[in-house]
Amino acid sequence: MIDIRNVSRTYARGADLVHALERVSLRIPAGRFVALMGPSGSGKSTLLNLLAGLDRPDAGEVVVAGQALSQLDEDGLAAWRARHVGLVFQFYNLLPVLTAIENVELPLLLTSLPRAERRRRAATALDAVGLAPRAAHRPRQLSGGEQQRVAIARAIVTDPDLIVADEPTGDLDAKSAVEILTLLSELNRAFEKTVVMVTHDPRAERFVDAVFHLDKGVLVNGGPP
Amino acid sequence: MTYPRLVLRNLLRHPLRTLFTTLSIALSIFLVCAVLTLPAALDAMFERAASNVRISVHHKAGLTYWLPFSSVQKVRGIPGVAGVDHYSWFGGIYDEPKNLFPNFAMDPDDVEAVWPDYGIDPAALARFRKTRNGALVGEQTMRKFGWRIGQEITLRGTIFPVDLTLQLVGVIPAASGNPLVLWFNRKYLDEAMEGRGGFPRVGMIWVRAERPEDVPRIIHAVDDLFRNSEAETAAESEKSFYTSFFSSFRGFIRVILAVGVLVVGAVVLIAANTSAMGVRERIPELAILKSLGFRRRPLLAVLMAESALVALLGGLLGAGGAYGIFRALGAAGKTGGAVPFLGPLGAFRVSATVGMEGVAIALLVGLVAGMVPAWNGARLNVVEALRRLF
Repeated sequence: MIDIRNVSRTYARGADLVHALERVSLRIPAGRFVALMGPSGSGKSTLLNLLAGLDRPDAGEVVVAGQALSQLDEDGLAAWRARHVGLVFQFYNLLPVLTAIENVELPLLLTSLPRAERRRRAATALDAVGLAPRAAHRPRQLSGGEQQRVAIARAIVTDPDLIVADEPTGDLDAKSAVEILTLLSELNRAFEKTVVMVTHDPRAERFVDAVFHLDKGVLVNGGPP
Repeated sequence: MTYPRLVLRNLLRHPLRTLFTTLSIALSIFLVCAVLTLPAALDAMFERAASNVRISVHHKAGLTYWLPFSSVQKVRGIPGVAGVDHYSWFGGIYDEPKNLFPNFAMDPDDVEAVWPDYGIDPAALARFRKTRNGALVGEQTMRKFGWRIGQEITLRGTIFPVDLTLQLVGVIPAASGNPLVLWFNRKYLDEAMEGRGGFPRVGMIWVRAERPEDVPRIIHAVDDLFRNSEAETAAESEKSFYTSFFSSFRGFIRVILAVGVLVVGAVVLIAANTSAMGVRERIPELAILKSLGFRRRPLLAVLMAESALVALLGGLLGAGGAYGIFRALGAAGKTGGAVPFLGPLGAFRVSATVGMEGVAIALLVGLVAGMVPAWNGARLNVVEALRRLF
């Protein structure tokens, strides 16, 4: 499903060069729930951005579901993300001017689905995360856990192959964090979605199939917990 | 969820900011519409005031030079002339120096022959002819000073060393297009000047031709008549006279038009600043939208649509307001003088064309103002933006 081959990525930070990833190789089979762990600055988020098609490596190849991402231009990558990737962020990043269901429906604007069908699918996704009764609420009217559920519903509404989550429990209390991890785990099992999650949360190890550790841009070890 | 709904929701994110931006555009477009109306309004005023059979005759050297009184009689003899009257600028002040308005000594007997189109009440004209110190007053001036028929007023001379007490005997309707003027009997001025050496001169001569087609011939005949005399004349049609008389006013209009352009420029900057502020605040959201798969073009369209919609709304409010307000002012005073403090502005009409021009300018303002911020927002580097976000 995900095949990362000898990938390196370097950033310029002022006059300095930061080697975020150095010759990282990694294979994640389809339908797995995987955690990327490591200290801050270890390259976890950079790796996540590369496999989500948000960024490009300086060297190496990223292949997701048979698609070599380097072969796609900017617009092609955007279209690929819209179709194949669902993204979940640490701070939920819902649009404050939209209701929960409108936020979930947002990625469907990129499809050719009719309006009623878009609304139906958004309602289904919201129901899947247990927030159907809160459909008409604005983000500020929801708790952190609820907002993250809406973000997850937004990530799955297009029925993507891959769900990418960057510190999804980082801004949540313990109870909500466990709920979100449980939800991601259920999505992984019930719908066979491949889930790749960056996290510092040690509780995550209970829910995932494999943990990969990075340090200073290098994959130090990885495999089933 | 639709794109228009997304645009609308974004606009309502900061309702006060959107309202103030809309109103600032509306006010400037109101001003622009009023300014764009000025040249047409001036032409309309000339059209209304000027007759196609009336001719103005004045000294070739300029309006400040006098003509011999005898010239009036000579002009009467030109074939095709239906009536001749004369004007002498008295320059009288009513009460205070600021109350200066056009007042002329002239011959009451020839008013009907030269200005039959003015619609002056025949009874008033009869009183004007009979009353030695009688005066006819333009409707707007009458209103401005709160005068009434029968009242006596005193005009303090500024050119002539005499003060004249005049009895108001009638009104010159505003519909004549000459609502500011005051006419009084020239003989009354002559009597006042008797002890001061008299005044055998006139400022200008008004001639009415029998037919419009006679006008060019009479103009030439008048100038030929006085060629090589001590006071050569410059005859011209009434419209031409008003146009050249107010030529300095056209320069003023050009200045106002330039101010209008500057106003539009200032509004573009204000709107651009607001738009840039809005985009800057939403960089995290734009980054999220891009990460979800939104491409540059739809984001650019959404951001531009927001800017254009505010500008369009402002344009409609401004242009519609200008159209409606000036129409209402016109309706309030069909005579053109119902709102004296506005002066000629009260008679302005914002045409539908000017209104549409105003809306188009507003739309252009919105597109220009939104272009750079929208472009910057749409081509945001998603990884850079996400890095700033987290």
